[in-house]
Amino acid sequence: MSLLERAQNIDRRWVYLLVWLFVLFPLLNPLGLPIPIGRDSTAWKEYIDAIPNDSVIMVSMDYGVSGMPELYPMTVASMKHLWSMTDAKNLKIVVIAFWNQGPLVFDTLLSQVDPEADYGMVYGEDWIELGWIPGGETGMAAFANDIWAQKPNDYLYSRPLDEYPIMENIRVAEDVDLVVSFETGTPGLPEWLRQWNDPYGVPFIVGCIGVSVPGMAPYLSSGQLSALMPGLTASAEYEVLLNRPGLAVAGVDAVSMSHLLVFILVVVGNIAFFATGGSRRS
Amino acid sequence: MSDTLRRIEIPIIITAICTLIQVIPYYIEIEVLDNTAATLQQWVLLIVSMATFIGVISIGMVHGKRVQRQSEGWYFSGILLIVMVVMALTGLPLESMGLGTKNPVYDFLFTNVQTPLGGTMYSILAFFIASAAYRAFRARNIEASIVLIAGIFMVMSNAPIFTSMFEGFKGIGNWIFDVPNASTMRAVTIGAALGAIALAVRTLMGIERGYLRGGGED
Amino acid sequence: MVDLLPIWTSVFFTLAIYSFLYKENPWYRFAESVYAGVSVGYGVAFDLRYLRDQWGGQWSSSGTMMLLFGIAVLIGLLWYARFSKQYFFLYRWPLAIIVGTGIGMALRTVIFTQFLQQIRAQANMPLFVAGDMMQTINNILIAIMVPCVLLYFWFTGGTRESAGMQIVEKIARYTMMAGFGSAFGYTVLTRMSLLIGRSQYLLGITPNPPEARMAFYTIAAIMLITLIGYDLYKGRS
Repeated sequence: MSLLERAQNIDRRWVYLLVWLFVLFPLLNPLGLPIPIGRDSTAWKEYIDAIPNDSVIMVSMDYGVSGMPELYPMTVASMKHLWSMTDAKNLKIVVIAFWNQGPLVFDTLLSQVDPEADYGMVYGEDWIELGWIPGGETGMAAFANDIWAQKPNDYLYSRPLDEYPIMENIRVAEDVDLVVSFETGTPGLPEWLRQWNDPYGVPFIVGCIGVSVPGMAPYLSSGQLSALMPGLTASAEYEVLLNRPGLAVAGVDAVSMSHLLVFILVVVGNIAFFATGGSRRS
Repeated sequence: MSDTLRRIEIPIIITAICTLIQVIPYYIEIEVLDNTAATLQQWVLLIVSMATFIGVISIGMVHGKRVQRQSEGWYFSGILLIVMVVMALTGLPLESMGLGTKNPVYDFLFTNVQTPLGGTMYSILAFFIASAAYRAFRARNIEASIVLIAGIFMVMSNAPIFTSMFEGFKGIGNWIFDVPNASTMRAVTIGAALGAIALAVRTLMGIERGYLRGGGED
Repeated sequence: MVDLLPIWTSVFFTLAIYSFLYKENPWYRFAESVYAGVSVGYGVAFDLRYLRDQWGGQWSSSGTMMLLFGIAVLIGLLWYARFSKQYFFLYRWPLAIIVGTGIGMALRTVIFTQFLQQIRAQANMPLFVAGDMMQTINNILIAIMVPCVLLYFWFTGGTRESAGMQIVEKIARYTMMAGFGSAFGYTVLTRMSLLIGRSQYLLGITPNPPEARMAFYTIAAIMLITLIGYDLYKGRS
């Protein structure tokens, strides 16, 4: 058997080992590769920068711990961006979740970022967290109809909403000016569009995992989705634009190396295939 | 009476009524129906939450039998049952008894067991996708070649190591996303919408009964 | 020492799952069983807390609401009829309510969000964009590709035999193949990102606890020694 034929039939565990090496090496020894800025991260940042004064922003944590590696960096960067603008623009930020692990992911964020100490945010006046709403799409519809009925108490302190000034004029979907959703699947953007965007005209921006990105294309081009953050690379670009390098920038060298490996594997695999007459056999 | 209650028409009629309660007030302004629809949406969430023990009982029955019969790997089933019961009990919302999501055992299991396990289960696919890229991704014909070329350009477009060498990779990736991908997904979205409407109408008419199967009565 | 227990537990379970890459083994099966157990058990806390909070809110505000809450609980109990052969039919009633409401919620707006809006976007797309030849070409391509893919799905079997449909089929297939290539590229990004996230934890890279790195090296060595050692032992015997 020639070298190329043996290469095609190599034990897959050698490929797994290569993946480990290509991922671990740049994490242990950062390469500092440049990060060219793309259109998606630029559009996201510009959209958030252009949020009008006195807007009510709803941030929806529609993902669980399994999506954290890809979505958590963009969530942290976006929340820091929003909190840094809240005072100047008199924004009101309401954090919710339609995935039951969403509040737990946000707990992790709060253990790493202190909105009060870092940005002067007052809980209950500038921002609030309401927690998880069950029921998926039905929950979204019920929440749109009557926010207070669905979440009579807040999530962090379990106190009634009438104790918090921020919620005084936030009762129904029409009181919300923008929804920022970080999502990994269902319920996600199609459900949001059906229950919030079409009936009430609430605009959306979505940060999602790479697997969901192709499905967002028709909504982006039709204008139903105003901006999209497609995965970890775009998150790194966003952190660079904000001048706040974080988790995404720390991981993007490994993204480069792992993608380089996939490129090499596909090319080598095809060279071996054609060189051994594979195209004739198939 | 029991035979009457068993009739499949009852749940079909319930489905139809619940659907119409949601759909009609959206198009025709009838205040009573509007209020009924809003109340039903919230009421339904209570019913959904009541199903929380179905998974626990189902898993308990399957793995309980394995432990009882001491089938192959029964000790793993035993571990599963113990962990499941501990998680469910410590998570009960009885804060006065020290239980709930802030309970130390629940918090430990969630933060240090479920979180890493959940993340790792999905991340292991990275190895399989690399292996598949090497062993199976072949330009055997024109269509496979198109997939391969588009895929490779998309991979390069998402990696700064390539886009910093040549910005054109990002442009090519954007073109693939905006043109063939958007075209495909737009057609799929439209087709899926029509399919969803057709399925909904069939369900309302009682033709589609797949969701009611089970119980050995079909 | 006690402070290290959470970190070592996290690292252990992470590596136990990754040990599957070598081959299926008891470490992996143990972690898999634990994962199944915690996954099923943890949701109970959230659902019961929701019910308790709802009772404390609108559903205890009046007699009618309390009655409705009680009826919802009773109907909710019918879910558990699925475990009985004799009363299985009762399980279908709460299911019918959920399915009916869900279908109603989706049906009322899917025609707008996923059908009319998309058709409107397609129809409003200008075929000629002054001063932008690239956009003009793209718009013409989209104007051709979308109907071709739609026709490809709608007309199957014998209806594709005509010469015109053969061309439509080819355009549709090539369009979809390019779309699938895009999906592959983004799938690689997601899977690698998830692996990178776990690797950052294993290596103790900020904001993850730095103690995780020592746990990673130690536990990985132990697992590899047991797995490879067992294979060598079996090979010899």
